[in-house]
Amino acid sequence: MAPLNVIKPSASQNQPRVNGYAFQYRAVDSPVHRMGAGWKLLLGTALCAAAIGGTNPFLLAALLIVNAGYYFLARLSVAELARDLWFFLIQMAVVIVLYMMRYGVPEGIWPGVRTSLRILLFFLPGIILLRTTRISQMMYSMRRILPYRLAFLVFTSLRFIPFFAREVREIAMAQRLRGAHLAPRELLNPRNWQDLMNCLLLPLIIRALKTADEAALSAEARAFGSYPKRSYWNSANYQNSSGKTAAVNDMEIKETL
Amino acid sequence: MASLLEIQNFSYTYQGAPGPALADISLAVNPGECVCVTGLSGCGKTTLLLAVKGLLYQGAASGTITVGVPGASSNGSTAGMVLQNAESQILCTAVSEEVAFGPENLCVPAEEIGDRVETALQAVGLNEYGSRTVEQLSLGQKQRLAIASVLSMQPQLLLLDEPTSQLDGPGKIQLLEVLQQLKSRGHALLITEHDLGPLHQIADWFVTMENGAIKNVTRKSPAHIAPEATPSSGRRSSGITRVLAARNLSLAYTGTGEVLKNLNITLARGELIHLFGCNGAGKSSFLRCVTGFLSPQSGEVEIAGIAGPRPEQLLGKVGFLFQNPQRQLFEDTVFAEVSFSLKRMRCDTGEVRQRVMDALSLCSVDHLVSRSPLTLSFGEQHRVALASVLAPQPELLLLDEPFAGLDFPQRYKILGILSELRERCGTTVVIVSHDRLPDPLWADRVLILEHGAIECN
Repeated sequence: MAPLNVIKPSASQNQPRVNGYAFQYRAVDSPVHRMGAGWKLLLGTALCAAAIGGTNPFLLAALLIVNAGYYFLARLSVAELARDLWFFLIQMAVVIVLYMMRYGVPEGIWPGVRTSLRILLFFLPGIILLRTTRISQMMYSMRRILPYRLAFLVFTSLRFIPFFAREVREIAMAQRLRGAHLAPRELLNPRNWQDLMNCLLLPLIIRALKTADEAALSAEARAFGSYPKRSYWNSANYQNSSGKTAAVNDMEIKETL
Repeated sequence: MASLLEIQNFSYTYQGAPGPALADISLAVNPGECVCVTGLSGCGKTTLLLAVKGLLYQGAASGTITVGVPGASSNGSTAGMVLQNAESQILCTAVSEEVAFGPENLCVPAEEIGDRVETALQAVGLNEYGSRTVEQLSLGQKQRLAIASVLSMQPQLLLLDEPTSQLDGPGKIQLLEVLQQLKSRGHALLITEHDLGPLHQIADWFVTMENGAIKNVTRKSPAHIAPEATPSSGRRSSGITRVLAARNLSLAYTGTGEVLKNLNITLARGELIHLFGCNGAGKSSFLRCVTGFLSPQSGEVEIAGIAGPRPEQLLGKVGFLFQNPQRQLFEDTVFAEVSFSLKRMRCDTGEVRQRVMDALSLCSVDHLVSRSPLTLSFGEQHRVALASVLAPQPELLLLDEPFAGLDFPQRYKILGILSELRERCGTTVVIVSHDRLPDPLWADRVLILEHGAIECN
């Protein structure tokens, strides 16, 4: 099919419309982006294992430096790091306070720091994987381990993280104006957790089911599952060689009908 | 000329449904032809597209649907379908990846997929966006991406379910240019739509459906008949009591820049306002600022007599109906849903009952009082959600894109309810939308949000 006339995007359309969300794929070129998804999974597994086993402060400090280097090698910014770690920083504060309440000050500080840091270091490699790896790359890497339908199910759900982040915010706003106790400060009170369940999580689950239906229909309408296997195209090199796309390395059709 | 799509006496009944969703449909679409299907919500438009695409299962079907020219070779998919909601049909994180998804499923060789992706993105004017993530696109761009992701499968027939419903004026124009070009290249288009206005220039035939059957087929677009009582003939604004005042409101996002720039607005009690702006103009940000969900970088807000409000202070004073208000329904019965805010306001039982019944009656859903909100039709859910925000009789009612997904009679009905609300309670009503109102005479004032500031039309 020959290309049709191109509609030129206006300058304003070139501006990103969102500020970005935690754990969202970042489309830049970096050594980590170029690394195969399989290698990233292996490296991530090793770093997670080290975080689980690491109790020594020097080992934890070294792991922290390695993870930070890994993160910034992926050309991710400090603002993105802050967005990714926001929940973990809250977790750290809560854990440290609980340890101090249990063991006193200063005895509880180091165990609290150690435990919360290990939790953070356990999840950070996974965050970097999500930030630097496209869904198709992950599906391609996992194709020998997981059936492609299952891999699709797992990795497509990642695409909807920003979507559901928006949904949570909007449903919470609507319900708060109706009188539900869903402000962050109000949710510290367990008596308001019923509102969290009824007014936010229940509508969210209904919304998720509906979205899953629509996504499944969209996949089916585009022939997903029509054949026992599918081909893989590496989108990472799109726009290389004067806008020409490239099928890279061994990513060629492996399956035939 | 051989038809690309030929439907003969097709009927379909969903499993467990009392009647057919499609009844004895016969229709033909030729290459290079655009057929636009319209009708009330629930008349069977989407079911018709799903039937053509072969995505209906388990129900009882009769008749035949033939897609594609007999004997013609095809190295792609014969029919491609673009669903109504671009947001939920996009499955991948990167633009080029999304466009490659269909050909990958068809086992097209990787070398060929690259060319298909490039061509499809060019066809919808997104070729400069291939390496971007989907979240960086505007809604209009997402809609065009959804079309590109189907075009890459090289279908001869394109099925589009309400493709313009979520787009603003410029988005519609761009989409229509794309569709016009596809049509001129020989693609056949079967489009379902409520608002036929934008499609006049490309549609060859208009098909009107009613209760699952084709009512008529015309060359000319069927007109919407507005009810006589819709215009806001009731009590006009006194112009004295101020309900909302924002002064020098400025808001900026990192990466996006300034969204609101020294915005000033004052609304009086009892006014009916239409706040109009394109997608991304900052309408939703403005609403969040005035209701205390976002803190502006500078400026002052006073709403319902509260300066610098927090959302919790606005209970009973300000009602806010978000886009797709069905999302806020969660109770077991319609009565419980509508009474939720009143109970939180600690109204006594008698008052709760009275106000709930008033609100349900106003929204014409009082006969559903014992039903579960989740089992209602889309339009009914919409009105139950509206009843739940107007039951406390707020001073100010804000509605963000309240007509999304509704057919024209339902839109007129909503306008009628809002006029009646002003008449009964003196409520100030603000409708925020990217589209014109079904009745342009409804609003006392039309405010246009553009470049971060508001101007009065």
